[in-house]
Amino acid sequence: MTTDLNIPGSQSTPAIRSDWQAGLLTMQGDSYPENSYELFDQVIGWVEYFIGHESRPLSLELELVYLNTSSVKAMMDIFDLLEEAHLGGREISVTWRYDPRNERIAELADEFREDCTFPFAITPTRVET
Amino acid sequence: MDLLSMRESYLSQRIMLCFNGPISRSLIEEIGNALRNYLNSQQATPSAAMDVFAAYIEMTQNIRHYSRVKGYDEESASATVAVAKNEDGHYMVSAGNLVELEDGEKLVATIETLADLDKQELKKAYKQQLRQPRDEDSNSGAGLGLLDIARKSSQPMQASLKALPDGRGFFSLTATI
Repeated sequence: MTTDLNIPGSQSTPAIRSDWQAGLLTMQGDSYPENSYELFDQVIGWVEYFIGHESRPLSLELELVYLNTSSVKAMMDIFDLLEEAHLGGREISVTWRYDPRNERIAELADEFREDCTFPFAITPTRVET
Repeated sequence: MDLLSMRESYLSQRIMLCFNGPISRSLIEEIGNALRNYLNSQQATPSAAMDVFAAYIEMTQNIRHYSRVKGYDEESASATVAVAKNEDGHYMVSAGNLVELEDGEKLVATIETLADLDKQELKKAYKQQLRQPRDEDSNSGAGLGLLDIARKSSQPMQASLKALPDGRGFFSLTATI
């Protein structure tokens, strides 16, 4: 196995954690760094390594909120990797949770989902009233 | 300094927040934070607030990116940014910066082409641009960010370019959300 990621979030970058044993990658928060690949290259690397060295299922649990276009591009690269693995027979799933008061997040997630054929849930979180 | 006339000018143009000067990565975040808080206090809907924030981020990061590619010094790399609310209650995000005249002309032309596209065509163009290889995208620079702002705007973006005595130009862009 490779080293798991445990990157704390900041104002402009999401918290990112990976769990090799569980086959799980989670990301939460806003993402708008100027150069998103400085951050996401290590995530892309982890996903590539997992897919290349394991045959177990891989799940992503996302609670991403705002993404700048640079981050959208990096996320698309991640989803492309997942799609390729899925077409090769790998079990892949994505769950993207969002605050239902902000429909922009669901629209963003939905545009990624359009290019994916693996199970991809876009789930509103419960709002406390 | 005539702060009163500045204040009156901001008020008459309904400018909620503005900035002029060298813009750093952390300043973009700090002003962005202030903008978000302000929009919250204005009871903007979460989706409108996010669209305004997105337009602000893409514009200012485009400016930083451009100045870096051109190797501009701090003075040339400064930005003029304003966020206002028009009479109809729409938020307006504007940003301006120094550019090489030729680059500015190309930008204005690009933005004029985008004005003819409807939402579906903008989405298609956005997705195509997203699929460009990384390096090509960074060369063409503003493409993806501009398409993103166009998609979030309620009317075509307005761009202008003024030639300056030193041979450069001042480019400014306004998006109405």
